[in-house]
Amino acid sequence: MNVDTQTLTSFPDWLASNSLLFLIVVVAAIIVSVVFGFLVAAFRHGPFEGFYVLAQVVGQAVPDFLKSSPRRIWAIGMLAVKEALRRKVVLATFAIFALTLLFGGWFMNSNSEKPDRIYVNFVMFGTQLLVLMMGMLISSFSLPDDIKNKTIYTIVTKPVRATEIVIGRLLGFGLLSTALLALMGVLSFIFVSRGLEHTHQIVGQTQTLAAFVPVSGEFSSLDKKRISENAILEAQTNRQNGHSHRLEVLVDIRKPSDPQPSNTSNIVNERVLDDGTTEYQMIVCSATAGHTHRVFVEGQGESAKITLGPPVGFFRARNPIYSDSLQFYDREGEPKTKGINVGNENKRRSYIGGGNPRQETSLAKVQFNFSSFYETRFPNLQKGDDGEQVLPLEMDIAVFRSFKDDVEKRVTAGIQFESVPNNEAGNRFVSDMLDFETNEFTIQTLPISRKLVGKVFAPDGTLVEQGQYDLFDDFAKNGQLKLTLKCRDYNQYLGVAQPDVYFRPSDAPYAWNFFKGYVGIWCQMIIVIAIGVALSTSLSAPITMLGTIVIIVLGFFSSFVQELASPNNIGGGPIESLIRVVTQQNMTSDLDTNAFITIVKNADFGISYLLYGLSFLAPDFSKFNFSNELSAGYSVSNSRLLIALSLTLVFSFGFTLLGYFSLKTREIAK
Amino acid sequence: MATDTKTEPTDSDKLKQTNPDYDPNIVIETQNLTKIYKDFWGRPKVRALNALDLEIRKGEIFGLLGPNGSGKSTTIKLLLGLLFPTKGRALVFGQEATEVTKNERIGYLPEESYLYKYLTAEETLDFYGRLFDMPAKRRKERAAELIEQVGLGHAKRRQLKEYSKGMTRRIGLASALVNDPDLVLLDEPTSGLDPLGTREMKDMIIKLRDQGKTVVMCSHLLADVQDVCDRIAILYQGDLKELGRVDDLLKVTEETQVRAKGISPEAEAEIRQVIAKHGGETLSIENPKSTLEDLFLGIVRDSQNRPGIRSAGVSDKSKSKSK
Repeated sequence: MNVDTQTLTSFPDWLASNSLLFLIVVVAAIIVSVVFGFLVAAFRHGPFEGFYVLAQVVGQAVPDFLKSSPRRIWAIGMLAVKEALRRKVVLATFAIFALTLLFGGWFMNSNSEKPDRIYVNFVMFGTQLLVLMMGMLISSFSLPDDIKNKTIYTIVTKPVRATEIVIGRLLGFGLLSTALLALMGVLSFIFVSRGLEHTHQIVGQTQTLAAFVPVSGEFSSLDKKRISENAILEAQTNRQNGHSHRLEVLVDIRKPSDPQPSNTSNIVNERVLDDGTTEYQMIVCSATAGHTHRVFVEGQGESAKITLGPPVGFFRARNPIYSDSLQFYDREGEPKTKGINVGNENKRRSYIGGGNPRQETSLAKVQFNFSSFYETRFPNLQKGDDGEQVLPLEMDIAVFRSFKDDVEKRVTAGIQFESVPNNEAGNRFVSDMLDFETNEFTIQTLPISRKLVGKVFAPDGTLVEQGQYDLFDDFAKNGQLKLTLKCRDYNQYLGVAQPDVYFRPSDAPYAWNFFKGYVGIWCQMIIVIAIGVALSTSLSAPITMLGTIVIIVLGFFSSFVQELASPNNIGGGPIESLIRVVTQQNMTSDLDTNAFITIVKNADFGISYLLYGLSFLAPDFSKFNFSNELSAGYSVSNSRLLIALSLTLVFSFGFTLLGYFSLKTREIAK
Repeated sequence: MATDTKTEPTDSDKLKQTNPDYDPNIVIETQNLTKIYKDFWGRPKVRALNALDLEIRKGEIFGLLGPNGSGKSTTIKLLLGLLFPTKGRALVFGQEATEVTKNERIGYLPEESYLYKYLTAEETLDFYGRLFDMPAKRRKERAAELIEQVGLGHAKRRQLKEYSKGMTRRIGLASALVNDPDLVLLDEPTSGLDPLGTREMKDMIIKLRDQGKTVVMCSHLLADVQDVCDRIAILYQGDLKELGRVDDLLKVTEETQVRAKGISPEAEAEIRQVIAKHGGETLSIENPKSTLEDLFLGIVRDSQNRPGIRSAGVSDKSKSKSK
């Protein structure tokens, strides 16, 4: 599974858990800035005068922000745009991007299992890299060049506030980069959607049913498995984009009481049999390279003209309903926070075992708890073969085999639904276990019928009744539902994480999702520009660039840096590690307990906390990277979008403030 | 500018309330203004300006003179808030020089025209007009007016990178006047201009004074200063050496000049005797003037001989020289 757990965090939850951290960071930043500012001012002017200077600067900040003129900000912003355009960085960026798109298609493997993923990742990564570099370049050089050329003299001798210079630049560069990103986004979308656009023709003399031959054996000449056991005729398509498909004519017999086939465009023959049933012969296309094609039939019988439509199955934006929490239970049925550790298989997933022949009644299971599971969230429920509505349940389950067994046979899993009564006196609905074969490395869909066979238990565990119950009206009457997943094969294990099992009521439009993906890149770009502008107020252009790169790198690897700076690392902090390296002691051996080591450990503790704190200064860029969702075919949740936008606002404001104070307190002339 | 004349009295009133010492007739006031450049470690490196006390009054043309490195540009930069004083204060219109709002009434022409070369003349003036928060219509009018005034009508749509030095100087002046300022600071205003352009610039400066504006200029071209300035200050190595009205400074008080005409050599000898004894028909008796150049060079030489002391005996020197 490609979507990590941060996709499950809702915006209000994130806000609630991060507000305190945010406040602490703000207060700490203010204290550090004031102390640092005072030290600098005291060094320049002496302690008393320094205090006065500091108070003056801080006191002027509020009016400077409040009295900033939009007209001046706009003027400076537009000048920044003209200047950036004159530098031709934007043009060069676009030229590189255009060249990449023009020739990138040559190197794409459209025959892969998921070609859409390759295309999306390619354009997203390319765009991200280019716009971040461009943002860094245009923002780092602008102000230092203005100061070097002294053109800044003509600005600061006008009634222009430091806020206006900083915000104006941020606005100008932001607008220009946004325009470029929008253009790149549109071109990328066209590239991605047109790049995989293709159709096929049937191999043979004609494009009619005459090209089909009777089915022989389980595999066709394409060495692909048959689509259906009901197939009577088969054909194959030509190779296009590095792949071909298998076409089959299936027989579908329906009673007069059965519903009509929903899709009629692919019916090649239709006749009423003697027993009153209707036989439909329809042509289907096999799924290859992550997609299939709709088949269109014009006319009836042998001479019917057969054509294939555009690819279906690329570029999905699943809009999942995830569970709100996850609960593991061990073999004895005791609740645990994690499942079994099967080794370094997957960091995200936890595993549940299927028991063994000696302990047949393994109670190991994982429970997904859904709240607010209402029918209104499933607006377009399709009907299944039995005429009942079905809910698409999608799963991406990992399998860990502790012994080989029959490798052709897939590991079996079972799911079960259970109601959560409002109070202890309420009856409990429990469905029968639905067994299915797991399909590792793919997202498998399990249609869950709305009407489930199950039992009703009284609070004391006695059976009240059994029968067929409605998933919404009976099981999840109060909006709460438990979904239990079990491994049904001895000695095998199933690995899941919270986002791995979900309902997929609908899909979002892919273009909209693509847009959201680019909003993520936009957020990163704005932050990079804010960093560049802030640093360039006091540093020269090359140093600004270097500083921006350092912050970007910290941002991309922030979780690694935080892990590295964590004070509880095995082997100790930086000084202790150095001692271990020099004295050739391994990470786990205890060091001598003496005063020196105590001092070292305490110093390490302090250094680690300092580094840990500093790592928060750089934004965690993974919060803005939606390419995983996009390429894996998931809709970017609005919560993630809101979190990214809030972080962008906070960081941009923080860096603007830094830029303001640094410009305000520096002498423009030399 | 119409809006400025409206707001000016209120500004002054406000300042009177907050700053009781504020005299609207004093445009610039420096008190013990000192600038010491320091190195990275905060150690004094250069004393660029030393305890400057200066008052520049409304409606005068004030010249700052001095050799290179004397502190002229430092003074201007301190007055504009581009540098922060190490000691002392610089007040412009009664406000601290670091206060941005004072810039609404200031026009500044830097030593070299630091302009955005990729803008046209019209765009340049429009941009600076925006920085003064002027509405679009007013900006357009003002730009057309100033382009006409500095004689760049034929080149208003050309990018500044195509301009000659003289043209750049003119557009620089136009952008300094875009807000119709009360105080104009000109750094070497005639540098790069041809004799005609120099004349026009000088006329413009005098015209600005006649409009009631205060002009502060620093220049190396002594003749220009002599032509236009009402008062001058001469700086040397950061110290103020001389300050006063140009006429007074150039007057040689110890001498009397007699000018007469239509006198034969014999008569002349006689007149000399008679004047020495009684006096005759005196056509002109006045105080002769040396040139500003003499004065300036005299001060520089004197300062080199006796560093740190305000030049007092300059006039004596010029006296002996003029003989």
